[in-house]
Amino acid sequence: MSISSRPSRIVLLVGRLVLLFGVLAICELLVRGGIVSSLYLPAPTDVLVQAWQLLGGGSGFYMNLGVTLREFVIGYLVAVVAGIALGLLLGLVPLAEAFFRPFLAALMAVPKVTVIPLLTLWLGLGLGHKIVIVFLFCFFPIVYNTIAGVQQTSEDHLKVARSLRASRVQLIGKVILPSAIPTILAALRTEAAAAIVGAIFGEMVASKAGLGNGLNEATTLYDTPKAFAFIILITLVSVLSVTVIDQLERRVLLKWRPRRSLR
Amino acid sequence: MIGFELSGVTKTYGETTVLDHIDLSIEPGEFLVLLGRSGCGKSTLLELMAGLRTTSTGTIHLGQERITGPHQKIGVVFQDSSLYPWRTVARNVELGLEMAGTPKAKRRELARAQLDLVGLPEVAQQYPHQLSGGMRQRVGIARALALQPEVLLMDEPFGAVDHLTRLQLQRDLLHLWSTERRTIVFVTHDVTEALLLADRIVLLAPGPGHIAATWRISQERPREPDALRTVHAEIHEHLGVPQTVKGIG
Ligand SMILES: Nc1ncnc2c1ncn2[C@@H]1O[C@H](COP(=O)(O)OP(=O)(O)O)[C@@H](O)[C@H]1O
Ligand SMILES: [Mg+2]
Repeated sequence: MSISSRPSRIVLLVGRLVLLFGVLAICELLVRGGIVSSLYLPAPTDVLVQAWQLLGGGSGFYMNLGVTLREFVIGYLVAVVAGIALGLLLGLVPLAEAFFRPFLAALMAVPKVTVIPLLTLWLGLGLGHKIVIVFLFCFFPIVYNTIAGVQQTSEDHLKVARSLRASRVQLIGKVILPSAIPTILAALRTEAAAAIVGAIFGEMVASKAGLGNGLNEATTLYDTPKAFAFIILITLVSVLSVTVIDQLERRVLLKWRPRRSLR
Repeated sequence: MIGFELSGVTKTYGETTVLDHIDLSIEPGEFLVLLGRSGCGKSTLLELMAGLRTTSTGTIHLGQERITGPHQKIGVVFQDSSLYPWRTVARNVELGLEMAGTPKAKRRELARAQLDLVGLPEVAQQYPHQLSGGMRQRVGIARALALQPEVLLMDEPFGAVDHLTRLQLQRDLLHLWSTERRTIVFVTHDVTEALLLADRIVLLAPGPGHIAATWRISQERPREPDALRTVHAEIHEHLGVPQTVKGIG
């Protein structure tokens, strides 16, 4: 048997499960055996219990989830709409793009976390504060990708449209926008994850509710199992949001694309 | 049917002159081939005729009308078909009709008729990436024909397909032309292709682009390349690539 021969799927799956449960079992033993304090490392079973309780509505989980989702959805949608609009404008008007480029680059370069305390000062601890943070976390990449998408429009495609006597509006609607969509969607996917990070991080820094707030509370109270449970559930929320956008992209907007065998 | 009249057409980009004083009459219903090695200005000339670029000096008339921009009587077929990958084949063919504001039902009907005409009725709902290169070129032709242009301008339309497919496409194009007798201006760098298709071959030479010679080919179609050996050799002579092996076959 050669080294490069690939193991079968089953073998891979079993191997991975063995590794996963092995590590979990070791953690469990270390904590239960008193070798590591449960303050630092929670026993996996405790995390499971905590997660179960949260999912059952413990610690106002669904209220917190609702708060976070609302911040995420509103901030993200505003960033998407405004980002695509500004990106289109700048992409279509080279003069405007050239003029605003340094300003955009400077704003983009600011690490967004640094302005959170000031935003708290200006906007308080509530929804508006988080919406702005979420917006800032994902707005600029959407603008940039939209500009790039517009600029990627093939000269040949434009030439075809002109030969068919397209108006300016038709050029934009039937050629430029569709050409830019794959690039825009790439940004929408990555920035959905960034938006969640923004919401959670904003909540951790300054808030009265939300999943980040819950996580913060658990950590402050040294409830390590609960903190882990929050981390896992927040991860799930993030993955689910990105998956929704992914599916939208594949089923609706990019169904014309050749399926790649590796994905 | 309608013809072209080019007089004193010159095109410069900054300091460089790409086309220098082109005078050319294209008769209504003529199949004219613009032949020349790459870089001699064939595409530029074709795009000037299509109204996609503007002449630096000189004028181009289609019938009585001066060409100043894309014209509804002119259909253009591009080198790589440049289909829109995000549209189905049918919707690619409908593109020009959409631009013109044709109602949807009518568009469907016209697009289907064009696809039938180029021999591809069954691929209407597929996407361009699912087609072969030859099929894509056929769709490109259908797209240009959908607006019922009186003139077809084709820029090396069969340059990127394999030999056998190209022969088939050439034959089908001739058939299409013989049934509807549109004026066709066809750009190629392939001497044999020019000989198989043209009523008249116009040889474009570089530095800056000018008409070096023309040949009228009056032989019946379909043609045998062998029967045109003399012209073939002559054209090669003009291109500065004399055939080293003479009298093959
Ligand atoms: N937009 C442009 N700006 C400057 N030079 C150009 C432009 N378009 C074409 N040219 C030049 O004009 C010449 C002819 O080009 P083209 O018409 O594409 O030739 P062909 O189609 O015969 O290969 C080339 O040397 C090319 O570099
Ligand atoms: Mg060319």
